[in-house]
Amino acid sequence: MTEPVPSSPDQPSQIQALPPGTSLRIRRPGGETWEGWLLPRESSSDPEVVHVKLRSGYNVGLRLVPGSEVEVRPGPLWGRTGEPGEAQPGGELPRAGGGPPITLLTTGGTIASRVDYESGGVKPVRDVSGIAGSYPGLLEGGPVAVRSVLDMLSEDIGPREWELLAQEVSQSFHAGARGVVVSHGTDTLAYTAAALQFQLPFLPGPVVLVGAQRSIDRPSSDGVSNLLGATRVAREADLGEVVVVMHAGLGDGPLAIHRATRVRKMHATRRDAFRSLNESPLGGLEGTSGPIRLRPDAKPRSSEPMEIRTGFSPDAALAWVHPGLSLARLERYTQGVRGVVLAATGMGHVPVPLLEWIQRSVREGMFVGVTTQCLEGMVDPYVYVRGRELQRSGATFLGDLSPETAYVKLSWLLHRTSDPELLSRRMAENLAGEISPRREVHEIPESGAP
Amino acid sequence: MKVGLEVHQQLSVGKLFCSCSGELAEEVTGEFVRRLYATQGETGATDPAARAQASRNLRYRYQTTPNSCLVEADEEPPHSLNPDALAVALTLAEMLGSEVVDQLWVMRKTVVDGSNTSGFQRTALVAIGGKITVKGRTVGISSICLEEDACRKIGEGDAETTYRLDRLGIPLLEIATEPDIRSGTEAHDVAEAIGNLLRATHRVKRGIGSIREDLNVSADGGSRVEIKGVQELRLISRYVDHEVARQDELLRIRDALRERGARVPDGPSVDLSPLLRETSSRLVGDVLRHGGTVRGICLPGFGGLLGESKVPGERLGREMADHARARGVKGILHSDELPGYGVSAEETARIREALGARPAEDAFVLAASRDVHHADEALHAVAERARAALQEVPEETRDPLPDGRTRFSRPLPGRHRMYPETDVPAIPIPGTLREEVRRQLPEAPQVVQERLESTHHLNPEMARQILRADMVEAFEALIRKGLPVTLVARVLTQDLPQIESEAKRPLPEGNAPLVHWLEPALRAVEAGRFAKEGLSLVLRRQLLHGEDVETALKAVGLAPAPGDDLAQIVEEVLEANAPLIRDRGSSALSPLMGDVMARVRGKVDGRTVAALLKERLDRRLASSGPEEVPGA
Ligand SMILES: [Zn+2]
Repeated sequence: MTEPVPSSPDQPSQIQALPPGTSLRIRRPGGETWEGWLLPRESSSDPEVVHVKLRSGYNVGLRLVPGSEVEVRPGPLWGRTGEPGEAQPGGELPRAGGGPPITLLTTGGTIASRVDYESGGVKPVRDVSGIAGSYPGLLEGGPVAVRSVLDMLSEDIGPREWELLAQEVSQSFHAGARGVVVSHGTDTLAYTAAALQFQLPFLPGPVVLVGAQRSIDRPSSDGVSNLLGATRVAREADLGEVVVVMHAGLGDGPLAIHRATRVRKMHATRRDAFRSLNESPLGGLEGTSGPIRLRPDAKPRSSEPMEIRTGFSPDAALAWVHPGLSLARLERYTQGVRGVVLAATGMGHVPVPLLEWIQRSVREGMFVGVTTQCLEGMVDPYVYVRGRELQRSGATFLGDLSPETAYVKLSWLLHRTSDPELLSRRMAENLAGEISPRREVHEIPESGAP
Repeated sequence: MKVGLEVHQQLSVGKLFCSCSGELAEEVTGEFVRRLYATQGETGATDPAARAQASRNLRYRYQTTPNSCLVEADEEPPHSLNPDALAVALTLAEMLGSEVVDQLWVMRKTVVDGSNTSGFQRTALVAIGGKITVKGRTVGISSICLEEDACRKIGEGDAETTYRLDRLGIPLLEIATEPDIRSGTEAHDVAEAIGNLLRATHRVKRGIGSIREDLNVSADGGSRVEIKGVQELRLISRYVDHEVARQDELLRIRDALRERGARVPDGPSVDLSPLLRETSSRLVGDVLRHGGTVRGICLPGFGGLLGESKVPGERLGREMADHARARGVKGILHSDELPGYGVSAEETARIREALGARPAEDAFVLAASRDVHHADEALHAVAERARAALQEVPEETRDPLPDGRTRFSRPLPGRHRMYPETDVPAIPIPGTLREEVRRQLPEAPQVVQERLESTHHLNPEMARQILRADMVEAFEALIRKGLPVTLVARVLTQDLPQIESEAKRPLPEGNAPLVHWLEPALRAVEAGRFAKEGLSLVLRRQLLHGEDVETALKAVGLAPAPGDDLAQIVEEVLEANAPLIRDRGSSALSPLMGDVMARVRGKVDGRTVAALLKERLDRRLASSGPEEVPGA
């Protein structure tokens, strides 16, 4: 039981102790009357300022100076029963269309989130029906089994979750899903996509990762068309790969399909943040209607038995080379790791003090891979002297493999082998579309489907 | 009657949540197409109006401009709130005696008509309370809010609306009054007084569209109706008076309907297409030929009350048509206007029979649409409106029309469409900031008006005009520079408004640039280079072409040129009009004056011309004898 609340509390702390949603009337000395409901206090805010939702719907913060009168009004708490919110939309989901079933695995993130008064930001919605309710037409193409696998911000998702997701994907296909959609926060979505692809070499259908750059609590969220497009790809496309489906441009029309091992988030905020590096997107579609276009080299649905190769080593690291990077700092950073991917400058260069360290480390059994921090283009040891020196020191040049995919691949391979030579060979060869010997002549695509 | 105002004033301090300029742009740099979806509010509920709008599957095309960035495109979160805009809001709060919040919360007000790329308008409540006194009456202030302006609407089609991002994000200060206003004229006066306060801050935009008023009007016994977005001050009293008359008329019709026992049946609408296959009505025929349908409903007891009204243009039939149109049909036909519109008397009789409508006593309404659902939904809306007609004046939002009437646009939005803007943390408003604002309060407009009248001997109307145009500083600066009051007052109150409307280009913004621009031309008049009548010509030229006075004078032909001697022109005119002078003697002066002025207007002032012309005319008349009578 809570303490009985005085009907006219006069201390800010007494007000803050009232249950959020309490109906209040506040009058500071000589001032106006403010009527509304108490809001939960933000943990970091000034304790003398109470937060009130006024009857007009506006929120305000009011300082309770000495002499303020506060009256607690009878009536239901705001946001709990009828007043002033309206009835919740019915929990019943619309009937699904007649197409084949797919599975939607949710991990949290922007695709389902709502305001969180305690922190002031947005936080994920936990209930599954809340997700389906936000996406009109989600079930039009056929049944969607929704499974809430994780409830995490994407920045917290790592190797353990990659394994769990691979198992969930595998189980979904075994249970009869025609395709699997994974909703994921966008920050690390590309890492998870690559990790799933390495773990699941033979897929009977598409595994589509999708997210939203504008949260679903906004009428302008890109999440709706991204998710609807992703479910279409999962259900309809003849595709046996892990892909990412997101906006191809600023508009809500065209969506791009990116290969998991090539995609990268290239903008902090734009809807078309996701781009394929060193190749055109794998395909595209015009949202909710029209054909799904795929590149000829897209892998079709596999008839091989599904195989799942989980396991990531914690002994892999990714290091960004920059002017002034000291040997000591790099040594500290790579303490105890068995392999490191360098995001080197240009075609794959590092400052001279690093060369000796690389030589020594490789001799001691550590793997050193070289990628380019330019992101677009390949590394090449032969053009400049430093490249040749770096190669002579024992580093492995990784072609047009992106630094992040290289890191995921290294972590995955380190779990499977400790033979440095085999590791080096595997890292440099194409396993899942992550490395290509040729890059086509076209401008670096800003965005958009092929 | 009860009237409340909401004044929305654009501020000239850039944009509210980004670093873009607030100047509108004609240059379009790109475009993208979006949709908007209905979202759940903070309590999990959805605003019904938002859901209805979102279900229409509309597309919105947005044009980007040089003064829009990723924030306006909804591709980047809002930056921190513009402190200059907040300062203006706090200034107004001080001037109105309002109570300011200690922490400002930016809210999202759901607006899913596409006019905001985000699907909501960002708005924050700055203060409540306060008052303004106009002509001895005090009107309460209910709130002061700081919000962002919406996109400019460029075009509208059936499934797509085009907007431009240039206006989106310009700060708007919204000042709402209590419903204390008691007449249309008073509404006008209060709006003007609030406008003057706003202009006194010197941080507001000027020109058409920079200040917009919403009028909340309820007649006695009527309901709150919001007339949204009135741009012209002079029309405010008309909208208010007309709205009161409209509500009174609707109440009179209600009483008549009740007396007759009118009612609105619940049943479905009836398909009348077979009866109208051969109709000569173009509207109906066209729809039927395209596989459409005509449906109808009967309204027992409504006969004669749909088309008749004591207030011109305000019929119940029109209200119904507006509601039907909002559901996607072009219009309706009702029994009070039939036979007509190509529907024959015989067809009308058959419709009556099919709907079971008694002659004269009952009314019926038809809707034709190529889409069967639309016709039925439109009639559903008509029946709803008819039901409301038996109860009261519906609370709703109406759009102002240029002729002083209004048109239904949508029901009043619910109170539950507010959602906190999670991308902007709450902003503390410390006491020190308020003190700073208090120290820099602008002079009250009444004080300035009195000074203009007493110190400079301006008449009240001129003083008011200079005040309203926010040109007091420019006026006083030009006087300090030694220019005569009459000349300066003339150019500010007569020439500038004319130039601005003719040139369709804004004058230099701000008082210092204005002074800098005006001074050379005024000095040239003072030096006798040209007459004050030529000012608007010269200044317009300068405005349009960015020329200095000398170049402009040459370009408009006011620079002195050989042969432009006044005496010579006068003699030429007298010579050319010899017969007229013979006929009318000294009364020929006035037409002759016109001829001379036509040639020297702007170069020589009228009084000089009149004096010289009179002298020469008298001389000529004196030297001619009576024998020179025509026909002799
Ligand atoms: Zn901007």
